[in-house]
Amino acid sequence: MARPYILICLLGVMAGLTFSALAQEHANSASSPSAAAPAQAQGKSSTSAATHTSSLAKAVPDAAQERALRVEGEKRFRTNCGRCHQAPHKFPPRVMAAAIRHMRVRAMITDEDMRLILRYMTQ
Amino acid sequence: MQVPPVKPSPRAQLPLRGGDHPSRSEKCRSFACRVALFAILTTFLTTQLKAQTQREEEVKPVPLLTGSAGFITTFDGGEPHLHPIATPLLLVPIGQRWVFESRATFETDMVQVPGQSGFHGSVAKEVEYAQLDFIANPYVTVTMGRFLTPFGIFNERLYPVWIRNLQSDPLILPIGIGPSNASTGAMVRGGFKASSKFNINYTAYFSALSTVSKLDSDRFAGGRVGIFVPAAQLEIGGSFQHGLQDQRSNAFGFHGIWQPPALPLDIRAEYARSIAGSGYWAEAAFRLSQIPFHQNELRRTQVVARMQQYFVGENSGDALLPANTKLFEFGMNYYFIDGLKASANYGRKFSSAGNANVWTMAITYRFVIPLGHTGSE
Repeated sequence: MARPYILICLLGVMAGLTFSALAQEHANSASSPSAAAPAQAQGKSSTSAATHTSSLAKAVPDAAQERALRVEGEKRFRTNCGRCHQAPHKFPPRVMAAAIRHMRVRAMITDEDMRLILRYMTQ
Repeated sequence: MQVPPVKPSPRAQLPLRGGDHPSRSEKCRSFACRVALFAILTTFLTTQLKAQTQREEEVKPVPLLTGSAGFITTFDGGEPHLHPIATPLLLVPIGQRWVFESRATFETDMVQVPGQSGFHGSVAKEVEYAQLDFIANPYVTVTMGRFLTPFGIFNERLYPVWIRNLQSDPLILPIGIGPSNASTGAMVRGGFKASSKFNINYTAYFSALSTVSKLDSDRFAGGRVGIFVPAAQLEIGGSFQHGLQDQRSNAFGFHGIWQPPALPLDIRAEYARSIAGSGYWAEAAFRLSQIPFHQNELRRTQVVARMQQYFVGENSGDALLPANTKLFEFGMNYYFIDGLKASANYGRKFSSAGNANVWTMAITYRFVIPLGHTGSE
Protein backbone atom coordinates (compact mmCIF):
# COMPACT_ATOMS: atom_id res chain seq x y z
CA MET A 1 0.00 0.00 0.00
CA ALA A 2 2.88 2.31 0.83
CA ARG A 3 4.69 1.62 -2.45
CA PRO A 4 2.76 4.16 -4.59
CA TYR A 5 3.44 6.84 -2.00
CA ILE A 6 7.13 6.01 -2.00
CA LEU A 7 7.12 6.18 -5.79
CA ILE A 8 5.29 9.51 -5.75
CA CYS A 9 7.72 10.89 -3.16
CA LEU A 10 10.72 9.80 -5.24
CA LEU A 11 9.22 11.34 -8.36
CA GLY A 12 8.55 14.52 -6.37
CA VAL A 13 12.14 14.60 -5.19
CA MET A 14 13.33 14.07 -8.77
CA ALA A 15 11.08 16.88 -10.01
CA GLY A 16 12.33 19.20 -7.25
CA LEU A 17 15.92 18.42 -8.04
CA THR A 18 15.31 18.99 -11.73
CA PHE A 19 13.77 22.40 -11.07
CA SER A 20 16.66 23.27 -8.77
CA ALA A 21 19.10 22.22 -11.50
CA LEU A 22 17.31 24.32 -14.08
CA ALA A 23 17.31 27.28 -11.69
CA GLN A 24 21.02 26.79 -11.06
CA GLU A 25 21.69 26.61 -14.81
CA HIS A 26 19.67 29.78 -15.33
CA ALA A 27 21.65 31.52 -12.59
CA ASN A 28 24.92 30.38 -14.15
CA SER A 29 23.97 31.62 -17.60
CA ALA A 30 22.75 34.91 -16.10
CA SER A 31 26.04 35.40 -14.27
CA SER A 32 28.26 34.54 -17.22
CA PRO A 33 27.96 37.97 -18.94
CA SER A 34 29.07 39.57 -15.69
CA ALA A 35 32.19 37.43 -15.88
CA ALA A 36 33.18 39.43 -18.91
CA ALA A 37 32.85 42.67 -16.97
CA PRO A 38 36.07 42.27 -14.98
CA ALA A 39 37.88 41.60 -18.25
CA GLN A 40 36.49 44.81 -19.73
CA ALA A 41 37.31 46.65 -16.55
CA GLN A 42 40.78 45.19 -16.71
CA GLY A 43 41.08 46.44 -20.28
CA LYS A 44 40.02 49.93 -19.21
CA SER A 45 42.35 49.95 -16.25
CA SER A 46 45.24 48.77 -18.37
CA THR A 47 44.53 51.61 -20.82
CA SER A 48 44.55 54.17 -18.06
CA ALA A 49 47.63 52.54 -16.60
CA ALA A 50 49.50 53.30 -19.79
CA THR A 51 50.29 56.63 -18.23
CA HIS A 52 51.94 54.87 -15.31
CA THR A 53 54.64 52.84 -17.04
CA SER A 54 56.34 51.70 -13.87
CA SER A 55 53.23 50.09 -12.41
CA LEU A 56 52.36 48.59 -15.79
CA ALA A 57 55.77 46.99 -16.10
CA LYS A 58 55.19 45.36 -12.72
CA ALA A 59 51.62 44.31 -13.47
CA VAL A 60 52.24 42.67 -16.86
CA PRO A 61 54.39 39.78 -15.59
CA ASP A 62 51.90 39.17 -12.76
CA ALA A 63 48.98 39.13 -15.19
CA ALA A 64 50.86 36.86 -17.59
CA GLN A 65 51.73 34.50 -14.76
CA GLU A 66 48.18 34.53 -13.51
CA ARG A 67 46.90 33.76 -17.00
CA ALA A 68 49.40 30.92 -17.39
CA LEU A 69 48.34 29.43 -14.07
CA ARG A 70 44.70 29.70 -15.05
CA VAL A 71 45.32 27.99 -18.40
CA GLU A 72 47.31 25.24 -16.71
CA GLY A 73 44.62 24.85 -14.05
CA GLU A 74 41.93 24.46 -16.71
CA LYS A 75 44.05 21.90 -18.53
CA ARG A 76 44.56 19.87 -15.35
CA PHE A 77 40.87 20.19 -14.55
CA ARG A 78 39.84 18.76 -17.94
CA THR A 79 42.47 16.03 -17.81
CA ASN A 80 41.85 14.84 -14.26
CA CYS A 81 38.12 15.37 -13.74
CA GLY A 82 37.19 14.34 -17.28
CA ARG A 83 38.83 10.96 -16.86
CA CYS A 84 35.82 9.70 -14.93
CA HIS A 85 32.93 12.13 -15.42
CA GLN A 86 31.73 15.17 -17.31
CA ALA A 87 33.54 18.23 -16.06
CA PRO A 88 31.15 20.17 -13.80
CA HIS A 89 30.44 23.89 -13.77
CA LYS A 90 32.28 26.06 -11.32
CA PHE A 91 30.99 26.06 -7.76
CA PRO A 92 31.45 28.66 -5.02
CA PRO A 93 35.01 28.65 -3.58
CA ARG A 94 34.28 26.86 -0.31
CA VAL A 95 32.19 24.22 -2.06
CA MET A 96 34.96 23.63 -4.55
CA ALA A 97 37.53 23.39 -1.75
CA ALA A 98 35.50 20.59 -0.14
CA ALA A 99 34.89 18.81 -3.44
CA ILE A 100 38.54 18.93 -4.44
CA ARG A 101 39.59 17.48 -1.09
CA HIS A 102 37.15 14.62 -1.65
CA MET A 103 38.47 14.08 -5.17
CA ARG A 104 42.03 14.15 -3.97
CA VAL A 105 41.24 11.10 -1.86
CA ARG A 106 38.87 9.39 -4.29
CA ALA A 107 40.68 9.98 -7.59
CA MET A 108 44.18 10.24 -6.08
CA ILE A 109 45.02 13.38 -8.00
CA THR A 110 48.42 14.80 -7.19
CA ASP A 111 49.00 17.66 -4.80
CA GLU A 112 50.14 19.94 -7.62
CA ASP A 113 47.10 19.13 -9.76
CA MET A 114 44.81 19.72 -6.80
CA ARG A 115 46.21 23.19 -6.13
CA LEU A 116 46.09 24.24 -9.77
CA ILE A 117 42.53 22.98 -10.19
CA LEU A 118 41.43 24.66 -6.98
CA ARG A 119 43.00 27.91 -8.12
CA TYR A 120 41.31 27.69 -11.52
CA MET A 121 37.93 26.80 -10.05
CA THR A 122 37.92 29.48 -7.39
CA GLN A 123 39.30 32.51 -9.24
CA MET B 1 61.04 14.57 -4.96
CA GLN B 2 59.87 11.03 -5.38
CA VAL B 3 58.62 9.08 -2.44
CA PRO B 4 57.75 5.41 -2.92
CA PRO B 5 54.28 4.28 -1.89
CA VAL B 6 54.03 3.13 1.68
CA LYS B 7 53.15 -0.50 2.08
CA PRO B 8 51.58 -2.00 5.15
CA SER B 9 53.81 -4.04 7.39
CA PRO B 10 54.39 -7.55 6.05
CA ARG B 11 53.48 -8.78 9.51
CA ALA B 12 50.03 -7.26 9.14
CA GLN B 13 49.41 -9.35 6.04
CA LEU B 14 50.48 -12.69 7.49
CA PRO B 15 47.51 -15.02 7.79
CA LEU B 16 47.05 -17.18 10.85
CA ARG B 17 47.60 -20.68 9.61
CA GLY B 18 45.62 -23.64 10.94
CA GLY B 19 47.41 -25.58 13.65
CA ASP B 20 49.79 -22.73 14.39
CA HIS B 21 47.67 -20.60 16.72
CA PRO B 22 49.64 -17.97 18.63
CA SER B 23 49.14 -17.57 22.36
CA ARG B 24 47.16 -14.65 23.83
CA SER B 25 50.34 -12.78 24.83
CA GLU B 26 51.77 -13.19 21.33
CA LYS B 27 48.55 -11.83 19.87
CA CYS B 28 48.70 -8.82 22.21
CA ARG B 29 52.33 -8.19 21.31
CA SER B 30 51.52 -8.46 17.61
CA PHE B 31 48.63 -6.03 17.96
CA ALA B 32 50.73 -3.60 20.03
CA CYS B 33 53.47 -3.76 17.39
CA ARG B 34 51.00 -2.93 14.65
CA VAL B 35 49.55 -0.01 16.58
CA ALA B 36 53.03 1.31 17.37
CA LEU B 37 54.10 0.95 13.76
CA PHE B 38 51.00 2.79 12.57
CA ALA B 39 51.55 5.58 15.11
CA ILE B 40 55.21 5.99 14.12
CA LEU B 41 54.36 5.96 10.45
CA THR B 42 51.62 8.53 10.88
CA THR B 43 53.81 10.80 13.00
CA PHE B 44 56.61 10.59 10.46
CA LEU B 45 54.32 11.31 7.57
CA THR B 46 52.81 14.41 9.12
CA THR B 47 56.02 16.32 9.69
CA GLN B 48 56.56 17.90 6.30
CA LEU B 49 53.33 19.56 5.48
CA LYS B 50 52.67 22.83 7.07
CA ALA B 51 53.49 25.12 4.14
CA GLN B 52 51.52 23.04 1.68
CA THR B 53 48.37 22.91 3.79
CA GLN B 54 48.52 26.62 4.51
CA ARG B 55 48.39 27.38 0.79
CA GLU B 56 45.64 24.84 0.28
CA GLU B 57 43.55 26.24 3.09
CA GLU B 58 43.39 29.81 1.86
CA VAL B 59 39.83 28.84 1.05
CA LYS B 60 38.15 27.00 3.90
CA PRO B 61 36.05 24.07 2.69
CA VAL B 62 32.42 23.88 3.72
CA PRO B 63 30.58 20.62 4.60
CA LEU B 64 28.58 19.33 1.67
CA LEU B 65 25.59 17.13 1.10
CA THR B 66 26.03 15.90 -2.42
CA GLY B 67 25.20 12.74 -4.32
CA SER B 68 22.87 11.57 -7.00
CA ALA B 69 19.34 10.44 -7.64
CA GLY B 70 17.92 8.50 -10.52
CA PHE B 71 14.97 6.65 -11.90
CA ILE B 72 15.93 3.64 -13.99
CA THR B 73 13.50 1.48 -15.95
CA THR B 74 14.71 -1.85 -17.27
CA PHE B 75 13.08 -4.50 -19.43
CA ASP B 76 15.18 -7.61 -18.90
CA GLY B 77 13.98 -10.49 -21.05
CA GLY B 78 10.59 -8.79 -21.28
CA GLU B 79 10.20 -8.35 -17.51
CA PRO B 80 9.86 -4.70 -16.48
CA HIS B 81 11.75 -3.36 -13.45
CA LEU B 82 11.35 0.10 -11.93
CA HIS B 83 14.42 1.15 -10.02
CA PRO B 84 14.36 4.49 -8.19
CA ILE B 85 17.64 5.19 -6.41
CA ALA B 86 19.05 7.98 -4.26
CA THR B 87 22.64 8.05 -2.99
CA PRO B 88 23.35 11.02 -0.72
CA LEU B 89 26.99 11.65 0.13
CA LEU B 90 28.02 13.63 3.18
CA LEU B 91 31.40 15.36 3.09
CA VAL B 92 32.72 16.97 6.25
CA PRO B 93 36.19 18.53 6.01
CA ILE B 94 37.75 18.75 9.48
CA GLY B 95 40.66 21.10 10.02
CA GLN B 96 43.33 21.18 7.39
CA ARG B 97 44.03 17.52 6.84
CA TRP B 98 40.98 15.49 7.72
CA VAL B 99 37.79 14.69 5.91
CA PHE B 100 34.91 12.45 6.92
CA GLU B 101 32.83 11.07 4.07
CA SER B 102 29.89 8.74 4.02
CA ARG B 103 27.57 7.60 1.29
CA ALA B 104 24.25 5.84 1.73
CA THR B 105 21.99 4.23 -0.83
CA PHE B 106 18.21 4.05 -0.84
CA GLU B 107 16.88 1.99 -3.70
CA THR B 108 14.18 -0.41 -4.67
CA ASP B 109 13.71 -2.87 -7.50
CA MET B 110 9.98 -2.88 -8.21
CA VAL B 111 8.53 -5.68 -10.30
CA GLN B 112 5.07 -6.90 -11.21
CA VAL B 113 3.84 -9.70 -8.97
CA PRO B 114 1.49 -12.26 -10.55
CA GLY B 115 -2.06 -11.83 -9.27
CA GLN B 116 -1.46 -8.29 -8.03
CA SER B 117 -1.74 -4.97 -9.78
CA GLY B 118 1.07 -2.46 -10.02
CA PHE B 119 4.73 -2.80 -9.13
CA HIS B 120 6.01 -4.09 -5.82
CA GLY B 121 9.35 -4.08 -4.08
CA SER B 122 10.96 -3.22 -0.80
CA VAL B 123 13.25 -0.27 -0.16
CA ALA B 124 16.84 -1.32 0.47
CA LYS B 125 18.88 0.99 2.70
CA GLU B 126 22.61 0.70 3.03
CA VAL B 127 25.59 2.72 4.19
CA GLU B 128 27.99 2.08 1.35
CA TYR B 129 30.94 3.64 3.09
CA ALA B 130 31.78 5.76 6.10
CA GLN B 131 35.43 6.65 6.22
CA LEU B 132 37.78 9.07 7.87
CA ASP B 133 40.61 10.32 5.66
CA PHE B 134 43.80 11.84 6.94
CA ILE B 135 45.87 13.66 4.33
CA ALA B 136 49.26 12.98 5.87
CA ASN B 137 51.37 14.62 3.19
CA PRO B 138 51.31 15.24 -0.58
CA TYR B 139 52.05 11.57 -1.19
CA VAL B 140 50.05 9.68 1.42
CA THR B 141 46.46 9.68 2.61
CA VAL B 142 45.44 7.30 5.39
CA THR B 143 41.85 6.07 5.41
CA MET B 144 40.11 4.26 8.25
CA GLY B 145 36.63 2.84 8.59
CA ARG B 146 34.41 1.33 5.95
CA PHE B 147 35.57 2.16 2.44
CA LEU B 148 34.82 1.08 -1.12
CA THR B 149 37.20 -1.72 -2.01
CA PRO B 150 39.72 -0.33 -4.50
CA PHE B 151 39.81 -3.28 -6.87
CA GLY B 152 39.68 -2.12 -10.49
CA ILE B 153 38.16 1.26 -11.26
CA PHE B 154 34.42 0.78 -11.55
CA ASN B 155 33.51 0.27 -7.90
CA GLU B 156 35.41 3.26 -6.61
CA ARG B 157 35.30 5.77 -9.42
CA LEU B 158 32.53 5.00 -11.90
CA TYR B 159 29.75 3.53 -9.74
CA PRO B 160 27.42 6.54 -9.12
CA VAL B 161 24.49 6.68 -11.54
CA TRP B 162 25.36 10.20 -12.69
CA ILE B 163 28.89 9.14 -13.66
CA ARG B 164 28.45 5.78 -15.37
CA ASN B 165 27.88 5.84 -19.12
CA LEU B 166 25.61 2.78 -19.12
CA GLN B 167 23.31 2.17 -16.19
CA SER B 168 23.88 -1.57 -15.88
CA ASP B 169 26.74 -2.88 -13.73
CA PRO B 170 29.57 -4.72 -15.46
CA LEU B 171 29.15 -8.48 -15.07
CA ILE B 172 32.53 -8.79 -13.33
CA LEU B 173 31.88 -5.99 -10.82
CA PRO B 174 31.47 -8.33 -7.81
CA ILE B 175 34.94 -9.82 -8.33
CA GLY B 176 37.38 -8.58 -5.73
CA ILE B 177 35.20 -6.01 -3.98
CA GLY B 178 33.85 -8.04 -1.08
CA PRO B 179 30.32 -9.07 -0.12
CA SER B 180 28.79 -5.56 -0.08
CA ASN B 181 31.24 -3.66 -2.31
CA ALA B 182 33.15 -2.40 0.70
CA SER B 183 35.92 -3.23 3.13
CA THR B 184 36.25 -2.56 6.84
CA GLY B 185 39.72 -1.65 7.96
CA ALA B 186 42.47 0.72 6.91
CA MET B 187 44.04 1.88 3.70
CA VAL B 188 46.91 4.07 2.53
CA ARG B 189 46.69 5.73 -0.85
CA GLY B 190 47.95 8.63 -2.85
CA GLY B 191 49.06 10.03 -6.15
CA PHE B 192 52.26 11.82 -7.06
CA LYS B 193 54.20 13.05 -10.03
CA ALA B 194 56.84 10.42 -10.75
CA SER B 195 58.43 12.30 -13.66
CA SER B 196 57.58 15.10 -16.04
CA LYS B 197 55.79 12.56 -18.23
CA PHE B 198 53.64 10.53 -15.86
CA ASN B 199 51.99 10.31 -12.45
CA ILE B 200 51.65 7.27 -10.25
CA ASN B 201 48.68 6.50 -8.04
CA TYR B 202 48.55 3.66 -5.55
CA THR B 203 46.51 2.16 -2.77
CA ALA B 204 47.18 -0.62 -0.26
CA TYR B 205 44.52 -1.83 2.14
CA PHE B 206 43.58 -4.38 4.75
CA SER B 207 40.02 -5.44 5.44
CA ALA B 208 38.81 -7.32 8.52
CA LEU B 209 36.04 -9.88 8.61
CA SER B 210 32.66 -8.43 9.53
CA THR B 211 29.43 -10.37 9.67
CA VAL B 212 27.22 -7.47 10.74
CA SER B 213 24.23 -7.36 8.42
CA LYS B 214 24.62 -4.77 5.63
CA LEU B 215 28.08 -3.89 6.95
CA ASP B 216 29.65 -7.21 6.13
CA SER B 217 33.12 -7.55 4.71
CA ASP B 218 35.70 -10.24 4.09
CA ARG B 219 39.19 -10.52 5.52
CA PHE B 220 41.68 -9.73 2.81
CA ALA B 221 44.55 -7.47 1.88
CA GLY B 222 45.35 -5.97 -1.46
CA GLY B 223 46.53 -3.08 -3.51
CA ARG B 224 46.22 -1.23 -6.76
CA VAL B 225 48.73 0.75 -8.77
CA GLY B 226 48.07 2.99 -11.75
CA ILE B 227 50.18 5.08 -14.10
CA PHE B 228 48.65 8.18 -15.65
CA VAL B 229 50.23 9.87 -18.67
CA PRO B 230 48.64 13.34 -18.87
CA ALA B 231 49.93 14.17 -22.37
CA ALA B 232 48.28 11.09 -23.85
CA GLN B 233 45.39 11.15 -21.34
CA LEU B 234 46.03 7.49 -20.72
CA GLU B 235 45.78 5.62 -17.44
CA ILE B 236 46.64 1.98 -17.00
CA GLY B 237 46.91 -0.04 -13.85
CA GLY B 238 46.51 -3.29 -12.03
CA SER B 239 44.90 -4.61 -8.84
CA PHE B 240 45.79 -7.51 -6.60
CA GLN B 241 44.04 -9.03 -3.62
CA HIS B 242 44.88 -11.92 -1.30
CA GLY B 243 42.13 -13.55 0.73
CA LEU B 244 42.92 -14.18 4.39
CA GLN B 245 40.05 -16.53 5.10
CA ASP B 246 38.42 -19.68 3.69
CA GLN B 247 40.41 -20.72 0.63
CA ARG B 248 42.94 -17.85 0.90
CA SER B 249 42.58 -17.33 -2.81
CA ASN B 250 44.02 -14.53 -4.90
CA ALA B 251 42.31 -12.14 -7.29
CA PHE B 252 43.86 -9.80 -9.78
CA GLY B 253 42.78 -7.41 -12.48
CA PHE B 254 43.86 -4.73 -14.94
CA HIS B 255 42.23 -1.49 -15.99
CA GLY B 256 42.72 1.22 -18.56
CA ILE B 257 41.23 4.61 -19.42
CA TRP B 258 42.14 6.49 -22.57
CA GLN B 259 40.83 9.79 -23.86
CA PRO B 260 42.48 10.57 -27.20
CA PRO B 261 43.33 14.28 -26.90
CA ALA B 262 42.03 15.10 -30.38
CA LEU B 263 38.62 13.43 -29.96
CA PRO B 264 35.72 13.67 -27.48
CA LEU B 265 36.08 9.93 -26.91
CA ASP B 266 36.35 7.95 -23.66
CA ILE B 267 37.62 4.39 -23.79
CA ARG B 268 37.56 2.32 -20.62
CA ALA B 269 38.24 -1.32 -20.00
CA GLU B 270 38.73 -3.74 -17.14
CA TYR B 271 39.74 -7.35 -16.72
CA ALA B 272 39.37 -9.33 -13.49
CA ARG B 273 40.10 -12.88 -12.47
CA SER B 274 39.50 -14.76 -9.24
CA ILE B 275 38.34 -18.12 -7.99
CA ALA B 276 34.79 -16.80 -8.36
CA GLY B 277 35.13 -16.21 -12.08
CA SER B 278 36.79 -14.04 -14.65
CA GLY B 279 35.88 -11.67 -17.43
CA TYR B 280 36.29 -8.28 -18.99
CA TRP B 281 34.38 -5.24 -20.16
CA ALA B 282 35.39 -2.61 -22.67
CA GLU B 283 33.42 0.57 -23.26
CA ALA B 284 33.65 3.47 -25.70
CA ALA B 285 31.68 6.71 -25.34
CA PHE B 286 31.76 9.37 -28.04
CA ARG B 287 30.42 12.89 -27.61
CA LEU B 288 28.95 14.27 -30.85
CA SER B 289 30.34 17.75 -30.25
CA GLN B 290 32.40 17.86 -33.45
CA ILE B 291 29.51 17.34 -35.85
CA PRO B 292 28.95 20.68 -37.61
CA PHE B 293 25.15 20.78 -37.62
CA HIS B 294 22.54 20.91 -34.81
CA GLN B 295 25.43 21.70 -32.52
CA ASN B 296 23.31 22.77 -29.57
CA GLU B 297 21.71 19.32 -29.40
CA LEU B 298 24.56 17.17 -30.63
CA ARG B 299 27.19 18.57 -28.28
CA ARG B 300 24.99 17.33 -25.44
CA THR B 301 24.64 13.87 -26.95
CA GLN B 302 26.92 10.93 -26.31
CA VAL B 303 26.76 7.52 -27.93
CA VAL B 304 28.05 4.57 -25.92
CA ALA B 305 28.84 0.95 -26.63
CA ARG B 306 30.07 -1.74 -24.26
CA MET B 307 31.12 -5.33 -24.78
CA GLN B 308 31.60 -7.66 -21.87
CA GLN B 309 32.07 -11.30 -21.14
CA TYR B 310 31.99 -13.34 -17.95
CA PHE B 311 33.25 -16.87 -17.32
CA VAL B 312 32.03 -18.82 -14.32
CA GLY B 313 34.69 -19.84 -11.80
CA GLU B 314 34.96 -22.64 -9.28
CA ASN B 315 33.11 -20.74 -6.57
CA SER B 316 30.95 -18.08 -8.20
CA GLY B 317 28.71 -17.36 -5.18
CA ASP B 318 25.44 -15.40 -5.27
CA ALA B 319 26.69 -12.06 -6.55
CA LEU B 320 27.95 -13.37 -9.89
CA LEU B 321 25.95 -14.95 -12.70
CA PRO B 322 25.59 -18.73 -12.62
CA ALA B 323 26.45 -19.23 -16.32
CA ASN B 324 28.96 -18.01 -18.86
CA THR B 325 27.55 -14.81 -20.35
CA LYS B 326 28.34 -12.43 -23.14
CA LEU B 327 26.60 -9.05 -23.21
CA PHE B 328 26.73 -6.33 -25.84
CA GLU B 329 25.09 -2.97 -25.13
CA PHE B 330 24.84 0.29 -26.96
CA GLY B 331 22.94 3.44 -26.16
CA MET B 332 22.80 7.18 -25.92
CA ASN B 333 23.14 9.79 -23.19
CA TYR B 334 21.74 13.30 -23.41
CA TYR B 335 23.13 15.90 -21.00
CA PHE B 336 20.45 18.54 -20.41
CA ILE B 337 22.60 20.58 -18.02
CA ASP B 338 25.48 19.94 -15.68
CA GLY B 339 24.55 16.85 -13.68
CA LEU B 340 21.20 16.08 -15.31
CA LYS B 341 21.29 13.28 -17.84
CA ALA B 342 18.82 11.07 -19.72
CA SER B 343 19.93 7.68 -20.97
CA ALA B 344 18.54 4.96 -23.17
CA ASN B 345 20.26 1.77 -24.21
CA TYR B 346 19.69 -1.67 -25.63
CA GLY B 347 21.62 -4.83 -24.86
CA ARG B 348 21.63 -8.39 -26.08
CA LYS B 349 22.65 -11.04 -23.59
CA PHE B 350 24.00 -14.38 -24.78
CA SER B 351 24.12 -16.95 -22.03
CA SER B 352 24.05 -20.72 -21.66
CA ALA B 353 21.10 -20.09 -19.33
CA GLY B 354 19.19 -18.37 -22.16
CA ASN B 355 19.51 -15.33 -24.41
CA ALA B 356 17.63 -12.12 -23.66
CA ASN B 357 17.15 -8.52 -24.75
CA VAL B 358 17.76 -5.83 -22.15
CA TRP B 359 16.29 -2.34 -22.60
CA THR B 360 17.13 0.44 -20.18
CA MET B 361 15.90 4.01 -19.82
CA ALA B 362 17.03 6.32 -17.07
CA ILE B 363 17.14 9.87 -15.84
CA THR B 364 19.84 10.75 -13.35
CA TYR B 365 20.83 13.87 -11.49
CA ARG B 366 23.80 14.94 -9.39
CA PHE B 367 23.10 17.45 -6.63
CA VAL B 368 25.38 19.59 -4.45
CA ILE B 369 24.02 21.25 -1.32
CA PRO B 370 26.46 23.26 0.81
CA LEU B 371 25.85 22.98 4.55
CA GLY B 372 27.17 26.40 5.39
CA HIS B 373 28.26 29.76 4.03
CA THR B 374 29.83 29.36 0.58
CA GLY B 375 31.85 32.57 0.33
CA SER B 376 35.60 32.67 0.12
CA GLU B 377 36.05 32.74 3.88
